[in-house]
Amino acid sequence: MIGMTRRMVMAAALAATVGGAGVLPAAAGDMRIAFGDLPGIESIQTLAAIERAKERGVNVELIILNDEDLAAQAIVSGQADVGIGAPYTLIQKVGVPIRMFTQISTLRFFPVVNGEFYKEWKDLDGQEIAVQARGSGTEAVMLLMAKNHGITYGSVSYVPGSEVRRNALLQGTIKASIVDAANRRALEAEAPGKFILLPVEDLSATDEGLFATADYLSKGAADVDILVEEIISTAREITANPAAAVEFRNKYKLLPDLGPEADAEIAAYYEETAKAGSLPLNGGIDAAADDFGFFSLAGQIEGDPASLKVEDFWDTAPLDRALAKLGKK
Amino acid sequence: MNSVRSSEGEALLIGGASQGQAAGLLASPALLRLLSIVLFAAIWEVAGRVPVSFAFPTFSDTAVAFFGLVADGSLPKAYVSTLQPLVLGVVLSALLGVGIGTLCGLSRAGEWLLVPVFIVLQAAPVAAFIPLVTFVYGIGLTAKTLAVMILALPVIVLNTYKAVRNVNGSLLLMCRSFLGTRRQEITRIVLPDASPVIFAGLRLGVAAGFVGVVLAELLITPTGIGDLITFHRSRADYAEMYATIASIIALSTLTLVALQWLETRVFRPEKRGR
Repeated sequence: MIGMTRRMVMAAALAATVGGAGVLPAAAGDMRIAFGDLPGIESIQTLAAIERAKERGVNVELIILNDEDLAAQAIVSGQADVGIGAPYTLIQKVGVPIRMFTQISTLRFFPVVNGEFYKEWKDLDGQEIAVQARGSGTEAVMLLMAKNHGITYGSVSYVPGSEVRRNALLQGTIKASIVDAANRRALEAEAPGKFILLPVEDLSATDEGLFATADYLSKGAADVDILVEEIISTAREITANPAAAVEFRNKYKLLPDLGPEADAEIAAYYEETAKAGSLPLNGGIDAAADDFGFFSLAGQIEGDPASLKVEDFWDTAPLDRALAKLGKK
Repeated sequence: MNSVRSSEGEALLIGGASQGQAAGLLASPALLRLLSIVLFAAIWEVAGRVPVSFAFPTFSDTAVAFFGLVADGSLPKAYVSTLQPLVLGVVLSALLGVGIGTLCGLSRAGEWLLVPVFIVLQAAPVAAFIPLVTFVYGIGLTAKTLAVMILALPVIVLNTYKAVRNVNGSLLLMCRSFLGTRRQEITRIVLPDASPVIFAGLRLGVAAGFVGVVLAELLITPTGIGDLITFHRSRADYAEMYATIASIIALSTLTLVALQWLETRVFRPEKRGR
């Protein structure tokens, strides 16, 4: 009898596991959005747009994942509907039917050198630099700049984490690297005048974008349209008035863990981002062409950038509909 | 020396006898092992063809990717950098671990001071420690070696400690009644009697060291095997990624088999032929 009961319990547990692993179809009006990274201050615009989409009746569930690849896999396997990232490699290599449909932000990285040793790009010829990882965006930016300035680096070392590279720069273990906006400001605050910021030209590749399966883009079109409209109008509002970012944060109580002291950081970040024009005002309707060049240099896309087809990577229909409604800027 | 020779003779005899007795497939365990590997590869191939997931390559694709990685030199190069912290960490852990474990087993003070530390370390989810290691020791070889040691050391220390503590009492009494010194007691009685469990600890420690080095290379800086895994994952080259993972599993297994062989062959001849 006991054996029987145990077997039944096991069967029930197995059934629960199998059933739980199965993907439940989302009801209309439901949207599961997978973040490929922990949301930080640079996610305020996205989070605000999501809140506004919620106000318009889209029932959004946020799923926070540790890695952009995981977000893409969640989309492919149907455990999430909309992912955040730029999964060009996956779209091309794995041939999974997912498409980008909106650009949220463009890449913003800052090559920083120790002023004692280097002054400009030319000085880095034959020198050692440190970037995030092999095949990462930071590496691609550095390679693009090397190409533009006709130099080659001596060696490239891989140090994941902008804050780790910031500390290594401060300690002097690395002399040339590339960091994100927050760590660039931290470097300026902690060692004023010690580091020189090298100029970055012609960089407008996608940092984060929205992507989904072709299937979801047609089935959930009404929800997708609302999200795309809100992403665009949030970006426009913040670009016109950077202080709006902090207002969004307070209104929707975004990133409560960071505490009120993050307001100043958010204000500074969006002030700078808006000035640099790196929030796309038209949802990145023309982003694909720039991305092809950049990501093929980064080694994430194969083939001649000129021969790649936009429709193999992007579905611009939601953007076209949103821009028809909101007008192009 | 004599005893070694005679037991070698015995081993041959027993080996010969068992070959004579068993028939068919069972006569050759090597064939059975091969069969199990072939079966595993076949199931993998089928699962890859189904496919289980878009990110799950077939066995044949993975094998092709493996030879590709060997041919272009990236796998050998990766192992050169992975083996440095691994070998360093495992050797240090083995020497330190057996030393500390013996000390704890022999002295009450050592036991009370050190054993709780290693029990906590063994119970702790070590992957959570690794970021702490980088704060103190940076991102270089030291941090990675330390990550290997954090995983390998506790199991070696605790096994050695338990083995030394539980040495056969009547053997110790015998040593004392023959007026053996403390030194002789340790080298002739305690360590030989404890050696089976110490060796088991060393094998577990080496396996843990492999876990440590891969964790370090995934979590600290991507070098060696960790770099190949993350890089190929980011490029969606799943066959290459699986080939790398399979290669480190194979290396770890082969190392453990080799250790066992070495143990029976060199250190504990009486165990051979069983």
